[in-house]
This record gives sequence, C-alpha cells and structure tokens, in this order.
Amino acid sequence: MTYSYPILTYTIFLPLIGAVLLLFIDKEKHNAIRWTSAFFSFITLIMTLVILKDFDWTTAQMQFMETHSWIPAIGSNYILGVDGISVPMLVLTSLISLIAIVISFNITKRVKEYFVFFLLLECGMIGVFAALDFFLFYVFWEIMLVPMYFLIGIWGGPQREYAAIKFFLYTLFGSIFMLVAILILYFTSEPHTLSMMELIQIGPSFSHNIQIMAFAFFFIAFAIKVPVWPFHTWLPDAHVQAPTAISIILAAVLLKMGTYGMLRISWPMLPEGIQYFSVPIAILGVIAIIYGALVSLAQKDLKKLVAYSSVSHMGYCMLALAAYTSVTAMAGCMFQMISHGLITGALFLLVGVLYDRAHTREIAAFGGIGKKLPVYTALMVMFGMASLGLPGMSGFISEFMVFVGSFDHFWAEYWYIVALAILGVVLTAAYILRMIQNVFLGEFDEERWGHLTDINIRETLCVAPLAVLTIIFGIYPDPVIKLMEASLNNLVTLMAR
Amino acid sequence: MPADYSAVLVFIIAGTGIVVFTFLLSWFVQPRNPYKVKTETYECGEPIFEQSWTQFNNRFYIFGLIFVIFDVEAVFLFPWAVAFKSLGLFALVEMVIFITILLVGLVYAWKKGALKWV
Amino acid sequence: MINITPLIPELFLLVMAIVVLMLDLFSSRRTVVVPAYVSMAAVIITGFLVFKFGGDAVRWGSNAIFVADSFSQFFKVIILGAAFLAIGSSFGTADRMTHHRGEFFALLLFSTVGMMFLVSAKELILLYVGLELTTIPLFVLVAYQKTNRASSEAGLKYLIIGAASSAILLYGLSLLYGYTGTTYLNEIAQKTAVYFLSHGFIPNAEGTTDLVGMGPAFSVALMMIIAGLTFKLAIVPFHMWAPDVYEGAPTPITAFLSVGSKAAGLAAIIRIFDGMLYAFSHDTMPNDSWGTMMAVLAAVTMVAGNIIAIRQTNIKRMLAYSSIAQAGYILIGVIAASKLGVASCGFYMFAYMFANMGAFAIVGLYAEKTGKKNISDFAGLSKTSPIIAALMTMFMLSLAGIPPLAGFMAKYYIFAAAIEAGYTWLVILALLMSVVSLYYYANVVRIMYMVDSDNKHHIIPSFPAGLVLALTGIGVLLFGILPQSILDMAYKTASSFIF
Repeated sequence: MTYSYPILTYTIFLPLIGAVLLLFIDKEKHNAIRWTSAFFSFITLIMTLVILKDFDWTTAQMQFMETHSWIPAIGSNYILGVDGISVPMLVLTSLISLIAIVISFNITKRVKEYFVFFLLLECGMIGVFAALDFFLFYVFWEIMLVPMYFLIGIWGGPQREYAAIKFFLYTLFGSIFMLVAILILYFTSEPHTLSMMELIQIGPSFSHNIQIMAFAFFFIAFAIKVPVWPFHTWLPDAHVQAPTAISIILAAVLLKMGTYGMLRISWPMLPEGIQYFSVPIAILGVIAIIYGALVSLAQKDLKKLVAYSSVSHMGYCMLALAAYTSVTAMAGCMFQMISHGLITGALFLLVGVLYDRAHTREIAAFGGIGKKLPVYTALMVMFGMASLGLPGMSGFISEFMVFVGSFDHFWAEYWYIVALAILGVVLTAAYILRMIQNVFLGEFDEERWGHLTDINIRETLCVAPLAVLTIIFGIYPDPVIKLMEASLNNLVTLMAR
Repeated sequence: MPADYSAVLVFIIAGTGIVVFTFLLSWFVQPRNPYKVKTETYECGEPIFEQSWTQFNNRFYIFGLIFVIFDVEAVFLFPWAVAFKSLGLFALVEMVIFITILLVGLVYAWKKGALKWV
Repeated sequence: MINITPLIPELFLLVMAIVVLMLDLFSSRRTVVVPAYVSMAAVIITGFLVFKFGGDAVRWGSNAIFVADSFSQFFKVIILGAAFLAIGSSFGTADRMTHHRGEFFALLLFSTVGMMFLVSAKELILLYVGLELTTIPLFVLVAYQKTNRASSEAGLKYLIIGAASSAILLYGLSLLYGYTGTTYLNEIAQKTAVYFLSHGFIPNAEGTTDLVGMGPAFSVALMMIIAGLTFKLAIVPFHMWAPDVYEGAPTPITAFLSVGSKAAGLAAIIRIFDGMLYAFSHDTMPNDSWGTMMAVLAAVTMVAGNIIAIRQTNIKRMLAYSSIAQAGYILIGVIAASKLGVASCGFYMFAYMFANMGAFAIVGLYAEKTGKKNISDFAGLSKTSPIIAALMTMFMLSLAGIPPLAGFMAKYYIFAAAIEAGYTWLVILALLMSVVSLYYYANVVRIMYMVDSDNKHHIIPSFPAGLVLALTGIGVLLFGILPQSILDMAYKTASSFIF
C-alpha cells in the first residue's frame, strides 16, 4: 500500500511540529499547552492506526517505503519503511505516548518545557521504529536521549539528576559500540552502504570474525537498552526517579527498542553471530528472569518492584530471541514486548496514581487500602495478575509462546536452561501476590490513609485502553500474531542462512 | 645522507672540546691572588660611586625600537640602491610599498605620542 | 613566475587592518563601533575574495610557494568565520577597554592574515613566517587587559611557550632542509621518498631486504616538527599553556585562539604530514612512521583532556580542556592520512567553529553582565534567559557529539575516516572518551536547567553578540541535519593532496 503522501514522515515529524508550536504558546497558559500536545499526540496515534489498517500483513516486504538521498558523502539515505515487526511497535508507541501525555496533565512545574521535551521524545521514538538506514536509525536513537535526560532530570524524584545523567551516559556508552559496528559494516560492504535492507541481504557474506565482532558490538548497545543482566543497573535508578509518565514510556517503549534493534538489525544481518552466541544469550536471559524476580521479591518500594519486574520480564524476550530457529519463539518475543508494554506501562501508571495521593511508595506503609479504593485495587490486581501470567491475559500468551518456542529450539541440548526459566514464573507470582497482599489486604490505617481518594476519571480513561487490550490479546491473540507472522517467518529464514 | 652529518658531529665535539680545553688550561696555569681593588668593578680608573644595576627610563626602549626599525630600513635601502639599475621597476614598486608600511608605522608612533619625551 | 592575484584576499585584509588602525588613530570619537564594523565588513569581503581568486598559485619553477587551492580556501573560510564571530562577540569586551581599542581589532586582523598565509604556504620559510605573523599579534591580544593580572600572566606564558615551540619547530624544519637541500614541500616529499627507496633497504643473509629507515636525524626532525606544531594545537603533553592562557585572555580572544589558530595549525600539520611526508604515514616504514607517534599523542590527548575537564569549576578552563580534547579527535583525521581523513579534519574544524565560538560568546556575555565565570554561576539561566540557555545546551551537546547537531556529524566523519584507515582501537577509545566528555558538557546543562537559584540576571545580547549567537546556533543545527554541501566542499579539499 502506498499513499500519495509520505505517511511515515508525517507520523514521525508531527510531534516535532507540535513541539515547535508549543514554543509559541504563552508559558502561563497551562491548559492550552496540555491540550495542544495531547492533540498532536492523538493525531499521531490516528496516523499509526491508519498505517495499521492499510498494512498488508500477508507479506514480509517493507511497506510505506520512502527513500530520499540525504547525505551522499557518507552514503546515508533517508529510508523509512515498516514491516510486521515495526508496525505493532509504532502503534504501541503512539498509544502509550498519548496516555503518558494525558496522565501528565497534573504536572504543574515548568509545563511548557515538559511537553516540548515530551513531543521531541515521541518524534525520536517513532523515528527509531521506522528508520531503515543505519545513520538515520542512530540519529533517532540518540535524539531520544536528550529529552529523556531533561524529563528525568527536571521532573523526577529526589535523586533525579543522578538518575538522569546515569541513564544518559549508560545509553550513550552502549550506542558508541553500535556506531563502531555500523562503521565496520559500512566499510566491509562492497559497495559501501548504510541501508539496513541491503546489509541484511549481504550480511552473511561477511567473514566470521567480522560478523562475530559486529554482533557483539550491536549486542552491547541493545542489551543496555533492554536491559539484559548485567547491563541493567541504570534501570532501577531511571525508572524510580522518573516522573510517572516517563516511567511508563521507559518501560513500555524504550526497553522495547533494545529487543527491536536485535530483531531488526543484528539477528537477521549477522546470522553467524546469533548462531555463535545463542546459548550465552539464553543464559543471560534466564539470569535476568531469575535475578529480576528475586530482586523484586526483596523490594520495599512499589515502583522499584515494578522496575525490577521489567528486568525479569524482558528476560523472557532474551530467552525467546536466543531460540533463533523457532518462529513461535520470535512471535513470543514480539508478543511479550507488546504485552509487557501494556502491563508494565499500566503498573507504573497505577503506582504513580497512588504516589500522587499518598506521597510514598513504601509497600510496608500501606495495608488494606482495597476497601478504601475499590476501583484502583481492582485495576491493580488485574494488572498484577496479567504480569504474573494468569491465563486470559496477554502475559500468559506471550510467556507460553516463549517457553514453547525456546523448548522447541533447545530441546536437544540445553533444555534445562529453559526449564530453569520456568522457575521465574513462580517467583513472579510470589512477588506480585506479596505486593497485593501487603498493600491492598490486611489492616487499614484509617488515621493515616483515610484521606485517600479513588482513581479519578482522567486516570481511569488512561488505564482503560491498556486494560482492554491486555484482556483482548489474552483471549484472542490471533490478529496480533497474524500481523507479524509473515515478517517473523522471513526473519527465521534470514537467520538460518 | 646521515653519513654526511658525521662532519657536523665532529665539528660539535671539536668545538666544544677546544673551549673546554682552553678554560681548563687557564684554570690550571693562572696565578690566583685576589685583593680588594682587583675584585672591584672596573670603571675607567675612577672609584665607583653607585651600583651598575640602575633603572633606565623606559622611553629609551621605545626610541630604541623605532631606531631599530629605521636602521633595518637602511640595511634594505643600501643594497637596493646599489643594484637599482639591474632590478628595475618591480623593485622600485616593492620598495615604495616597504617604505609606505614603515611610514604608516612612524605616523602611528607619532600620533600615539611615542616620539614625545615626557 | 610571480602571479599576484591569488594573494589579493590576504593583501586586501592586510590593507584593511592598517585602515582600521588609522581609522582609530584619526577618528575623534573614541568609539569602538566604527573599527569593529569595518573589521567585520573587511572579513566578509575577504571571504568573497577568497573564492573569487582561488585556484591559482604563485610558483617558482615547478614549485609553488603559496597556493590558493581548495584546501586552503576551505580553511580560510573557517579562519575568517572565526575572526568574524570573534569580532562580533568582542564589542562588549572592547567597550570596557580604556586604551587601544582600535588596535584590538587591527591586531586580530593581522593575526588572521598570518593564518591565511599559514594555510596557503607550501614552502617551509613562508610557513614559518605565517606562523609567526599568526602568533605575535596573539601574544599582545592575550595580554590585552593589562591591568588584569591573569591576563598579563597569560600573555607572558603564551609568549614564552610560543617562542620555545617556534624554536623547536624551526630546528625540525632546518633538519629536514639539511636532509634534502630544499624548502619546497613538493621537493622534500619527492626527495625523502626517493632517498628511502634507494637507501632504506639493505639486503640481508636470507636474500631479502631489511628496512633501515631514514636514520636518527630524520626521526628527530619528525619529532621536533610534531612537537612544535602540536604546541600550537595544545596537544598533550604540549598543552600545559592552554588552560592558563585560555582563562586569562579576553574571552573573544580565547575563542579565536581555540578555533582560528587551531584551524591554521591543523592546516599546517596536514600540509606537512599528509601532504609532504605522506610516504611515512603508516607502518610500512616502521622506524620513521609519524602515524604511530601521532596516534599515541591523539590517544593521550583525548584521555587527559576529557578527564581533567571533569574537575574544572571555571567555565573557561573547562572549555580549555574540552578544546584540548577536541584537538585530539581532530588529530585522528590527520593520522588516517586519506582523502576521507583530510576531509573529516576540515569538516570537524568547521563544525567545531560554530559550537565553540557560540559557547565562548555566551560565556563572555555572561561574564560581562554578571562578572561571574564559574560553571555553578550558570544556575537558573534556563528561567531567566531561556533562549541563551537553549543555545548553550545546543553548543554543549554539539561539542559532546550528540545528533542531530553538527558536532555529531563531524565526529562520525572523523571516525569513519579512522575505521577506513584501520585505526579501530583509536575510534573505540575516542568514543569512550566522548562518553566521558558528555559528563562535563551535560553538567553545564544540568546546572542551567536543574539547579535552582535566585539568579535574576536576564541576559540581553547586543546586536552583534545576538548576530553571533544566531549564526552559530543556526550553523550547529543546520550543518548537523543537512551537511551535504559542506561535506562535498571538505571532500574536494583532499584533491590538493596526492593520496
């Protein structure tokens, strides 16, 4: 499907236009600023939905392609396009962005700057998922860091400055390895090219050593973003210190960029790399699952608990990615990305809602608030169940697919790695149930929490789409899987080269 | 080429050697018999009446600088004048430019009061 | 044959410098505006002349002394740009001077003329004269605030170190002359290469040949030239003058030093090493390879510059160490010794000009208004002067190499050249150091945006300072997103070399 107008370009730069427009609004007119940014984010969502509607899921071809010469001197072109891997991420990004913007309507500090930075961030995020040229991809990848730095550093919690610079330095540290890998691939390819599609075609012809080295470099960059244990130490700081909306974005979109980068770039482009590193990656994935769950179990802070649960949940993605011969595992990885985006996004949102009212996130401080806040509790319990993989929710589907796919791949040898990962499910249940028990059940301290009010309409409206999607995908996942199937089949063929 | 430099090396060693040798020689053969008058600063036979480290007015330096500029000008002008016939018009133009630049400098110095003795 | 037309831009600027001097002498109103605007106009016109009268050469026989090729044109644009921006941001500084305002601009122009000669020189003596014409006015300019002790100290330090480094350079050049009997770069290139081919190998017992290299004097010459020129670029370990001089000098002069004189020195290094001694760039000639020597210097420079910069509290000192580190990155392009390498040096300098001149302009402006020079004094700037703070953020991020700003494009291009030439280890080190550099660049941003203060200084730039900020801001953004035209120009400059 092609349009007479470049829809992807519009989708990417619409938030940027919104950000520029915001600069001209008087900084005291908070409501005008809020609604303008929500409007631009909403239009962006509509655009991605139009892309989704007209997307042809029967083929693995790149669609809505746009190719323009950009900087011929370094061989870089402006290439955009989407396939079954990027379309779900585009829709997820624009949906989560809109929700995050609406949930941050209660921001009162430096409102104008906040929304300008937010829209810049959205521009970068959508760009990453649509770019098919290495240089362009890298530019979008890095552009995001700057607004993120400001958003955490200005509007975050008490240790915001430390968390912001840590996030910035960590991610930049990762991306420099990506830059070196990009340059190595550029000069190895004949004729030199930065186009991802061309490099995927010729990737397997590179020598073993080049493939291994480039794969390792890409892996560091993406693994920091995911984050894979032991590269995860930025995550608890950034997630906990960031304001609610940014935690949502971090969990639901930014972490996915790591796995997206693997699926889009290093896995199909350097098949010898993934074949070589498959087992170590599976081990890292399992370590992340168990470690993340164990650390979550020990958390006293509600937000930290959700943050470490992200480490654990992204471990499933890594485990699935290691099983590179199985389409089911790849689909499980994609599905886990989407469902983790929805569930953890919602959990961060709900934690933020409680924090706004109670001004503390200490699990031990609460107890029995289920009676006082029934709607809130229902939502929290629902997403908690989704997070621990209760059947009927999207989390169950994705974890099930991950296990089936990775057993399929590792059955002959190393099946015990996957078996170990199943332990993670039990641990997840343990920390989620413990959290629910301590916060919502038990004695209610009327004196201290008597003033708490239930979740309001704006916040409910924000959570509602996430809840609906979590349940729909849990009961009827077929459309999502169909959407990605052709691309994932193609991906597995590419990796088998 | 490096071999050609051996001559330079020999030259350096010989040059240093001769100086060191003559100093050492005089050190060994000289009679040493210092007394008061002998160690005094030599000032044309007169008895000294002040330290030789005195302050000069720094106007001298500016005058000195301006003098050096025009001194160098003269150094250029003489050979040019001697070979004027064979050098021709181009050299004349060049010399006019040269003198103009110096004149600008003089005007600048004059205007800034560097020629006045305050 | 003497052809005077390629010299027209330089001669014009020289005349204009004298005019500015006279203008100040004979104008009754002691105002800074007239000589400053005349100087700015002169620089712009010279910029046009550089393009109009390019391409020709002053030649003696088959050897050029002074060439106005695309390489020198490109660097002259950078130098003139730096001069223009420095003059534009020095209105405030000059306004507060009690004496010698006209000379300030005249000296700046004289130094610019020297730089233009330096980048065009293809003969050792002209190169040296150009270098001296560049630095001598700068000695005076650095010490311009003569009642300020820091400024006087900086001037004296710069004078002594400058003289010492010139002497070392001159010694190196004379050794090279002794080797070859000529001062023309082309002839030296030929003679050293030919000599190496005829004497550099000796047969050994196995019937093959051993490399013997050029002999110790040649290595000494290489080392002395590298030392002399890297002094001017403030490459570690020849950098110790830079922080004190940068701190003490009037801010616009610091900016001009860090961009203009760096560009000119870089051009000389490229001419000498990538142009003249290209045959000795790589490991094929192990005893006489300058590539290895410079790679080590570049590595040490990036590490030391970036790490020391973290500890600085004075913003000018921080920028001084940052510019030391930046010189290390640029040197990577020289080491690559390829078309891409030369092109990347040019583009890096071009991008660096905008970011650095802009950053120094803001520092100068802020110090003028508030008299404060510490990084912590910038607290709250994002509230009182949001546009200035946003520009400063852009300059800092461009220096750190964050896309889509020009500094990122420049770093990418340099690293591409180095990877192509096989210096992967150097690129990884450089990238790691650029992560370190982000820490102190982002620190400025952090203080402006995240630290609260009761700072009430609302900075309103004067017209020329505003112009400088607008130009540098646009440059940093525009050449980051659409660098193609400049990259093309930079790539063409490499056609002046034999690669």
